[in-house]
Amino acid sequence: MHDVPLIGPYNPDGVLAWETDGPRTARQFLSDVSRLADSVPDRPAVLNLLSSRYEFLVGFAAAMLRGQITLLPQSRAPQTLRRIAGDYRESYCLTNQDEPVEGIESVFLRSHGSLAAWPTRIPHIPLDQVAAIAFTSGSTGQPMPNRKTWGALTAVARATGARLQLTTGDQATVVATVPHQHMFGLEASVMLPIVHGLVMHAGRPLFPADIRDALAEVAGKRILVTTPLHLRACVTEGVRVPPLGLILSATAPLPQSLAQEAERHFQTEVHEIFGFAEAGSVAERRTIDGDRWRPLDGVRLAQDQAVWMVQTSYLPTPVRVPDRITVDADGQFVVHGRGVDQINIAGHRVSLGDLNQKLLEIEGVQDGVFFLPDEGADLVTRLIACVVAPGKTVEEIQQALRRRIDPVFLPRPLLLVPRLPRNDTGKLPREALLKLAEQQAEGLSHEA
Amino acid sequence: MTESFASSLERDLASLIVQTLKLKVDPATINPTQTLFGDGLGLDSIDALELSLAISQTYGYQLKSSDPEIKAIFSSLRALSNAIEKNRTK
Repeated sequence: MHDVPLIGPYNPDGVLAWETDGPRTARQFLSDVSRLADSVPDRPAVLNLLSSRYEFLVGFAAAMLRGQITLLPQSRAPQTLRRIAGDYRESYCLTNQDEPVEGIESVFLRSHGSLAAWPTRIPHIPLDQVAAIAFTSGSTGQPMPNRKTWGALTAVARATGARLQLTTGDQATVVATVPHQHMFGLEASVMLPIVHGLVMHAGRPLFPADIRDALAEVAGKRILVTTPLHLRACVTEGVRVPPLGLILSATAPLPQSLAQEAERHFQTEVHEIFGFAEAGSVAERRTIDGDRWRPLDGVRLAQDQAVWMVQTSYLPTPVRVPDRITVDADGQFVVHGRGVDQINIAGHRVSLGDLNQKLLEIEGVQDGVFFLPDEGADLVTRLIACVVAPGKTVEEIQQALRRRIDPVFLPRPLLLVPRLPRNDTGKLPREALLKLAEQQAEGLSHEA
Repeated sequence: MTESFASSLERDLASLIVQTLKLKVDPATINPTQTLFGDGLGLDSIDALELSLAISQTYGYQLKSSDPEIKAIFSSLRALSNAIEKNRTK
């Protein structure tokens, strides 16, 4: 087998996606893909920033038919987009009409047109074709590319579907709160439906009321692909939703207590996926059953000296697990946390070294450091930055950071200090930073 | 020159935003017509989610991003305050 079809088992007039204005059939989808594939410029790569999940899929499929690689930036920060476009010089940007990206050639998707005849053979994509490159933030400040072949994407979707016992006959619809440009979003909300012949909801609901409405718009078995953050919001708000078939959560560890509450509230099982951009989805668990992860079929963890590597038939070389884990004799494993330099905020992973570097690049910043305080009661714990920049204001530095980094990493708060509490070796002990931040916070509240 | 609050709801909402999002600003200094997201207070979608929970719990108004007015509602403290005034149930 050297290639597999673009989409799984759909009837030509079966629904493939729900758009805001109604259903899109498989026939409509193939027409849309073929029309777009005929009209995109002849380039090796495309930045697909389309916000509708269905339109993103049309762009992704059209790019594959033209042999183009879809670039998935880790954030929409203009500097990140320009850096990637700089590295892939002949790329173009597929984007919404009202959101062109400055400095990059933008192509807009036309609204869907006439229906073409159902092809005698659904287009096939070679297994070894690089379909996408997912970028992660490296410690040097340069985005790190992770190549995803069509073979890897379809294999992960099949293994995930098998583990979750999804079948085509289910007529299930996937509603997702995660972005499709994110690796988990691509796998669980785009690849999972099209490989198994499921329906995808094109929206990306954010607020609890949006999630409730999106679930109410679709029929049949409903699968909610989401994050602990959205689950917490829905449970706190107490939204009433139609019966769910399954909840799939990823991007951050889901606390046991929240999983229990969510299972009670939504009357369904809550499963979690463990993965990372370099390898894709790796393992699954039903959260209330315990903290052990069960690798997906075909995934094996192997130790290479002090680090654990993921081995599969679809990854060309073993991939290092960025977290600290312990693996049992049966291959199941427990995750103990991120590596030293890595942090994760609401599913966005970044190296602190990368953030510090970007902070120090700002004109007028003499010294500065980002750090993550201990977790509090909030939905999300934010970073703090201590910065030495005489003559600069907090607003000026925030402004400069906003152009360089993903908004989730913007420091809350950013503290201007006369100097950093470096020790004799020039290092910054975490305790000293926490103390400094605390003193600053007190000072501010006295002023206020 | 900072514009002043037009109502006590605006003042309360400024405090709710600062408290909910742990912003290191004095609520009284928030300009009611300044943008909340992007360049203004620099809020993002996680803030929007946290804020929507606080607004729902305090005023009984559930925000929806499918609302065609959502961008306008979140454009400033004043716009948000007006939307709450119109839709509040508590």
